[in-house]
Amino acid sequence: MNRVSVDIGGTFTDCFLAFGGQYTQAKALTTHNNLSTGFMDALGRACQAVGQDMESVLGQVDAVRYATTLGTNALIERKGPRIGLICTAGFESQVPIMRARGYGDGMPELYKADMSGADRPEPLVEKTMIAGIRERVDWKGEVVQRLVEEDVRRAVLKLVDRGCQAFVVGLTNSVLNPEHEKLVERIISEEYPGHFLGGIAVILSHKVAGRKGEYARIMSSILDAYLHGRMHHGLAGLESTLRNNGYSQPMLVTHNSGGMAQLNSTHALQTIHSGPVAGLGATESLAAQFGEPNLLATDMGGTSFDIGIVTGDEVKFYDFYPIIDRFLVSTPMVYLHTLGAGGGSIARYEQLWNAIEVGPQSAGSDPGPACYNRGGREPTVTDANLILGYLDAENYAGGSIPLSVRRAERALNDRICKHTNLSLVEAAQAIRRKVDANMADAIFKEVSVKGYDPRDFSILSYGGGGPLHACGYARVLGVKRIIIPPFSSVFSALGAGNMDQLHIHEKSVYLTIYDSVTRAVLSDPTELNKAIEELSALGREDLRRQGVAEADVRLRVEVDMRYGNQLAQTAVVSSKDRFENVRDLMELVQHFSESYEKRFGEGSRAPEAGIRIQVVRVVAYVEHEQVPLNPYRDGASGEIDAPRHRPCYFEGQSDPVETPVYSHSALEPGSVIRGPALVESDTSTVVIEPGWKLTTGLQGAAVMERDEPEQSSH
Amino acid sequence: MSTAQEQMNAQLGAEDQEVVDKFLKDNVLFYGPDRDIMMDHEVSEISDVEARALENAPDAETRNIIRARIETGCTEAFELVENMGAAPGAKWGDMIVGVFSRNGDLSVASAGGVLLFSVLAQMPVRFMVKYWKDEPTVGLKPGDIFIHNETRYGNIHNADFSVIMPIFAGDTLLCFAGCIVHEGECGATEPGGIPPSAESPFDEGLRLSPMRVGENYTLKRDLVTFLQHSTREPKLMLAGLKSRLFACMRVQERVNELIDSYGSDAILATIRQTLTDTENEARRRLKTWPEGIIRSTIFADTTLREMVLSKINVEMTKKDDELIINFHGSAPEFRNRSVNTIVSSLKGMLAQQFLTFVWPDLPRNQAVFAPIKVKTDQNSFLHCSDDAATAQSMMSIFPAFGGIQHGLPKFLYSAGERATEIIAPWWHMIDTLLYAGITQHGEFVGNIASDINGMSGSARWNRDGEHAISPIFANYVDLGEQELIEEEIPMMRITWQRLQKDMQGFGKYRGGHGAQTIATVKDTPQWAFITTANMGKFPSVIGSFGGYGSGCTPMCKVKGVDIFKELEADPEFLKSYDTVDLMNDMPFKDGDYITSHMGMPPEVVERGELYCTQMGPGAGYGDVLERDPEMVAQDYRDELISNWTAENIYGVILNPRTAAVDRKGTDEARAAQRKQRLARGKPYKDFVAEWETDAPPEHLPYYGSWGDPEVLYRGSPDRTCSADAIEPTIMSDPAELEVARMRKRLNDMLDRGVGAAFKDG
Repeated sequence: MNRVSVDIGGTFTDCFLAFGGQYTQAKALTTHNNLSTGFMDALGRACQAVGQDMESVLGQVDAVRYATTLGTNALIERKGPRIGLICTAGFESQVPIMRARGYGDGMPELYKADMSGADRPEPLVEKTMIAGIRERVDWKGEVVQRLVEEDVRRAVLKLVDRGCQAFVVGLTNSVLNPEHEKLVERIISEEYPGHFLGGIAVILSHKVAGRKGEYARIMSSILDAYLHGRMHHGLAGLESTLRNNGYSQPMLVTHNSGGMAQLNSTHALQTIHSGPVAGLGATESLAAQFGEPNLLATDMGGTSFDIGIVTGDEVKFYDFYPIIDRFLVSTPMVYLHTLGAGGGSIARYEQLWNAIEVGPQSAGSDPGPACYNRGGREPTVTDANLILGYLDAENYAGGSIPLSVRRAERALNDRICKHTNLSLVEAAQAIRRKVDANMADAIFKEVSVKGYDPRDFSILSYGGGGPLHACGYARVLGVKRIIIPPFSSVFSALGAGNMDQLHIHEKSVYLTIYDSVTRAVLSDPTELNKAIEELSALGREDLRRQGVAEADVRLRVEVDMRYGNQLAQTAVVSSKDRFENVRDLMELVQHFSESYEKRFGEGSRAPEAGIRIQVVRVVAYVEHEQVPLNPYRDGASGEIDAPRHRPCYFEGQSDPVETPVYSHSALEPGSVIRGPALVESDTSTVVIEPGWKLTTGLQGAAVMERDEPEQSSH
Repeated sequence: MSTAQEQMNAQLGAEDQEVVDKFLKDNVLFYGPDRDIMMDHEVSEISDVEARALENAPDAETRNIIRARIETGCTEAFELVENMGAAPGAKWGDMIVGVFSRNGDLSVASAGGVLLFSVLAQMPVRFMVKYWKDEPTVGLKPGDIFIHNETRYGNIHNADFSVIMPIFAGDTLLCFAGCIVHEGECGATEPGGIPPSAESPFDEGLRLSPMRVGENYTLKRDLVTFLQHSTREPKLMLAGLKSRLFACMRVQERVNELIDSYGSDAILATIRQTLTDTENEARRRLKTWPEGIIRSTIFADTTLREMVLSKINVEMTKKDDELIINFHGSAPEFRNRSVNTIVSSLKGMLAQQFLTFVWPDLPRNQAVFAPIKVKTDQNSFLHCSDDAATAQSMMSIFPAFGGIQHGLPKFLYSAGERATEIIAPWWHMIDTLLYAGITQHGEFVGNIASDINGMSGSARWNRDGEHAISPIFANYVDLGEQELIEEEIPMMRITWQRLQKDMQGFGKYRGGHGAQTIATVKDTPQWAFITTANMGKFPSVIGSFGGYGSGCTPMCKVKGVDIFKELEADPEFLKSYDTVDLMNDMPFKDGDYITSHMGMPPEVVERGELYCTQMGPGAGYGDVLERDPEMVAQDYRDELISNWTAENIYGVILNPRTAAVDRKGTDEARAAQRKQRLARGKPYKDFVAEWETDAPPEHLPYYGSWGDPEVLYRGSPDRTCSADAIEPTIMSDPAELEVARMRKRLNDMLDRGVGAAFKDG
């Protein structure tokens, strides 16, 4: 298999190259002004490593796949077109009001709690760029107010006069009856045909999201429109550069739904967060190849801690109403939880509890932790790790960032020790304990709220800070096994190389399986089958357009069900893609009840309140060959001596321990290291706490296991 | 205790007293609401068990980790209720999950939800500790499930339902898990759970004192059946019970895990110390406030049956580490109206003020409010008797909240430290529709629309307020999606959450705009709307430091029409989707256009009739003439204000087409306005001499003190009582009064010889 996969991140562009049976990783700085520069730079380095010229590699690879944060950056920078929103008259203020909750979406709990200080985010559509048109479709999809073309033309003209560069059309109940949205599109294209210079993009909400809920659907469409131009130009430019360098296959882009697709089958919105999602994709692949049924993916960076869940029971976790930047949308996205905990998280003395709190505020990378000596004065997790001896002041990040122990000590002294009577080391230990506890709490909640016990999982730890703290949060959780993946510094790039081509289509329905008032049970599954067929056809068409043979297309049918009048729904994977009779439906009901009880507790099922299907979803995909990973070498090389030592302070110990320090690059696969110990590389430090044992594998992988039993505090 | 009994006790010796006490203890008619519990919002004394645990307590750092874990468990359970629940309250966040100390004090609560429960939820738990723990026929044991909804035992109104479970470590009662949700429908005289027409507590639906409905973590089907049968929505009752139960069980699971890790003493000590630490911190912060007295006066304008002016007299005294809020001189209770409040609900609402708007960083527990003392006149409408109806206590506690919010900036402006921004008063009324009827799916439902969550934010000391952002009783709650709402119930919005032009709390920084909604129904055999709100005729959101207050938000409706028929015939029938335009332009030829106050009992709605509600604005902050003209221009561009407002309120001259500011014209207009102000000004004593009267005017149905807080007026200048001995006010039935008025008119006409034939007939 010859394959290039790339993750274009905010700072670095990571490249993973599988070529001629060799695997290579490379990094380059991301070039935001022109993505292809950084991309080709990273790829060039990888090609050099395998001794090939780029054109030769690109001419032989079966695919170039990539994930990108381009969209995320565009949102942060608020660089997008001037959008005109056409909505149902009477609903013009809905987007500015953001369901009231919008001020807090994507923000920490403390911000949500502070109403006096609450501010909504800077809007993506100005109020003056919203125009209502007279039309109305009801909850059944019936037109109760016909659309008047002249009214639409007036609205379009008004918005164009005001500088509209992209239209979003979001009309009420358009997912049930999209005719009015289509009509508006036709009118816009009549007024401003695409062949004129400055042709205006038109995004119809029902094509972006198939769910009911007009606000989230319109926001999805707005984000799509906002990102469309920049994504298109950035990615098309990249594709063109690759073609000029000998690549002839289509490029595949990672979607946040957990799959990939060609550029011509990609909405801009689907690429947001695709980097972290690719990381989770790599986790899934690794779980399958390593035979790890339950994995908790944990990625600790400078400012945040991402948590993803992979389980052996084939349940996929989606967020059907994810928050992107600070906006609620309704396009399914692989579930990832982000916590404000990273190396830059600021520690402070909390007078209220006479104790230390950590985060969610972060020193970020500028000024960064106090020890960076760039003007930061607040003590951070990185400062604590430096004081405890876990970080090498001279060789941090491969020596690119010299660390100042003196600055770190001063920050802890000034902000923590003065208030607490703790020594420097005690304060640093307390900071570490608190951040580990925070991460463990967040993992515990995310896992248990979905009906799983975190103690049944192994932790997969990657990102610069993960292996530094993995023993800490694993200990608190009672998890006994930590995996450091192969190619961990380009793990998301690896993930981009291992994902299937996949499309999700969903549709809101109102299907009562059991009406508890009339006690009627649905016996005719025609409507359900019709929805499945319709969505399956869309999925097949998506893949067909990308050259996938009909026979290779796989389908997975899922339905969102609920009891009584609950708002929330439980996603159920159906074992059937066609329902023949009432027995099939009852089987689905049974499956729903079991999933529900697993999540909410035994005895929580409530079919007596009635059962409904709210959403039908079809996942259409084609399985791709995976990059094979080799976790272990046959025959371990056993325990080895450390080349050097340095004093470190470990949990529960007031005196320093002369701790062996290993260089990651010098370790042979199969090496066994017992804690306390450190393993250093240019990108990360692994802290092996006392009571843990690390065994190195191939391709940079390692496994840490508890050497001796210890009780969790969860 | 009666005076006669007090006298008798005074004469008894110790031995006799013991005998009498035992007799009285053994012969209680029933365990009604306990005054000691209901009046006490402070943290309980440390019990012996807690004291022992505190002696063995882990260090502060470990306690901090344990506390965070309990809070995470509560938040996990909160999310579980959001997913399992069926009530709009559960769907949109109107609830709380918490852990209570073994004495019943709420110590740790979920991150989101309705915070006023923080000071109200402990009462039923304390009741269980006091009466049921050692009661042989009840008792507390692992797996017990208790529920409660009666406001006189705690919570705001009977639409709020709790589930409470004791948590044990071995045989020792360790703490309680509790979950409270505004479920809505509760079997009251009117559907929806908060009946405006209630005339006594017996009109307010289910009145569950804390009672056991299950054992061994299992609900008893016979009791559940009784509860389902007692309300109009059996499906809602079941879903609510189950979701609250599983939330409590989830909390218990988390607490048990902590016991396994840290031991029960550590948990007990953490729960207790959390309360102590919180109270100490609140007191420390209060100490940094300037000493002094701030007064504020505010009025509620309706009993929901008739228009009245009910005074809320606020005097806040800051002394050392305490704040005393005194409502002496406020309106007397309306015995047979639903707008009264019991004092604990008032305290809950006031606590919300501190938890959300003053110290949002403090933990959500009752100790935050412990250093604040509340004084009220017994039998006033802010401290009513047990016999008075309270289903719509929001009509008194929300304006009281507004009064406090108006006064607090004056302390906070000079406070030694602040946790958030200083703000003018928020919009504080529930201008939304309550509904009841049969859905398009054949189900009976009754509840409150989620528009309640869209109250508008007020101006801050340094920036404008946010439009329609959050109710005063919760944070981070949700207005929902119209498509999902109309899929469930036949209520269709013609206009949904539309910001209203010129409805602004003007100021140097303006308040956020309120949103208006025009609703109708279709596909239902039977439907009714209800509205319950103040400020239909008299505003009670007051501006700060020269900023303007709100306008009024009356109920508007168009009856006898069918909008769907009109729209079918002419899709451009509605020229505007704005309520004001609708009522002024009167597009329906034969429509009955009605504007009234917001007290509307259940009113049958026919297909296509229009009901318009609107939230008012948050108040403004600072002088309008100091507002940056460019901000005025932006509001004009955003169609939030008219050119008239820009010119006449803000003194800003704009090009009406481009919104460009005419700097010179603006300077001149503002100078002219300042001159006019000086011309209008007069010495304070002249102003007082001109405006002050000895008693309220005769035409005004005025309730409460006028000048002297000791004397309360009860509807007219000649009806007064002492604030220390308030006589209940019984209001007449407005319908009967109307009949009497009609009869008198008829008799007058007959006397004048008009309609003699009719008389003979």
